[in-house]
Amino acid sequence: MKEIIRIVVSLTVSCIVAAFVMGTVFAITDKAKKHNEHLNVHETVLGLLGYNKANPAPSDLRLFTMYRYIIEDEKTKNLGYMVPVAHEDKEGYELLVINLKGEFVERLRLDIAPEKVAEEPDRKSALRAVIKPPRTFTYADSTIIAKLGGKRLAYLLPGAFPGFKTFIEVMLALDPSFKIMGLEIMEHEEDPGLGGEIEQAYFKNQFRDKSFEKIKGLKVVKEPLPDEYFRYLEADKTKEDMISRKEIAEIKSKYQDKDIYALTGATISSRSVTVGVKTIIKKFTYRVNILDSVIAGQRIPVTF
Amino acid sequence: MPATTKTNSQLVVNGILNENPIFRLALSMCPAVGISTTVMNGLLLGIAVLFVQVFSSCTISVIRNFIHPKIRIPTYTLTIATWVTVIDLVLAAYMPAAYKEMGIFVKLIVAFAIITMRLEMFACKNSVPASFWDGVGMGLGFMFAMMTLGFVRELLGMGTLFGYDILGFKPLLFFVLPAAGFFCVGIMMAIYNYVELAYNRKKKG
Repeated sequence: MKEIIRIVVSLTVSCIVAAFVMGTVFAITDKAKKHNEHLNVHETVLGLLGYNKANPAPSDLRLFTMYRYIIEDEKTKNLGYMVPVAHEDKEGYELLVINLKGEFVERLRLDIAPEKVAEEPDRKSALRAVIKPPRTFTYADSTIIAKLGGKRLAYLLPGAFPGFKTFIEVMLALDPSFKIMGLEIMEHEEDPGLGGEIEQAYFKNQFRDKSFEKIKGLKVVKEPLPDEYFRYLEADKTKEDMISRKEIAEIKSKYQDKDIYALTGATISSRSVTVGVKTIIKKFTYRVNILDSVIAGQRIPVTF
Repeated sequence: MPATTKTNSQLVVNGILNENPIFRLALSMCPAVGISTTVMNGLLLGIAVLFVQVFSSCTISVIRNFIHPKIRIPTYTLTIATWVTVIDLVLAAYMPAAYKEMGIFVKLIVAFAIITMRLEMFACKNSVPASFWDGVGMGLGFMFAMMTLGFVRELLGMGTLFGYDILGFKPLLFFVLPAAGFFCVGIMMAIYNYVELAYNRKKKG
């Protein structure tokens, strides 16, 4: 009996000490970690829009984030869009509720400052003030809208879908006509050297410049990647003089309407990325068309 | 095993040669086979293991007289898990560039047999400095093994080294697959054993 108590006590003490150490470190590092994550997303967004150190983003480029929530009570299920709005030059957020048929239900002012909106707890408390029980809300996804000089430049869609092993997290950039501007793989756990190659330029850049019409029927083909196409896809990495401008235009138009070439030894990963991208875009275009028509119909002063 | 009589440099060399974690002790084979597809992966996992091993060894060595013998394994696991979490959090917060490359490897280490085994065999019986040097030796030995495997597998499987194209073609894609990892480990073990035999024979003769 004495032995048991001693074991229990020493185990409990070691657990408490370990928990204390981990908790302290977490508390100290949490803020810096979140900051890094935001920076990382921001950098990826700029990268997808074609800006980098050599070609910095213009000062009138603005990024707005829209959050989609699912709002339910016992009977009905609606979609709630948290959209950035500007009332007499003051920027804020409104919740736009749309039913599943795409009809406008209501619009609610939210009490949240634009600089706080990126934090999930702040969004929750703002929403809780206008959505009272029994209605509940669940976060669905977010969209970043890039605007350059008064015009929409791109939609940036963070998304996730199952890969060969676990979920693959991506960020997609679409231009206003829903052509793919770029694809970035944010996180994945595919096998290194096989499925892991999805993050390589020669795979992910194949999605670049595919039109919306093409995306709808996009397939994966099991053919070897042609050499000139490989050079074109990897052009960002290699020196510019390896491939001339004229050649780039030629190869671009030649392969623009081709399907996606599968990775050697990773057909399933290739296929899941293609299907995932296709699904994200199809769903998004359907929703954004409804949202735009509701915004126009209700004359909501959105900033994007 | 009584307290060690080896000097610090002997302890480091011991980790790399006589008791190399992968080639001699055959521990932590799963990550060795799974991750060592490129030299870079091997190097990063090696660095991560080195840090966790050194920190855990020192911690256990400090508290070795307080650990209840019946719960030493849970204590080891807890220590390793704590250090892994701490390193993971600190990397994510202050070294985002390094975290981007190493994050996935650091999390893997909790389940490594080699670290637990070293705590049980060495750190809980020896002084802090000796444990520190043993941790360094084991970490370096693991890193060396992983990089050797990564070198062979990356060169033969993908024709590259550190991501740079060396051969210009892919000789045997098979080497990237996990099964080939076992072949590489087996061949390396044979080389280690052969060298040991040759060395002993020479000593006798």
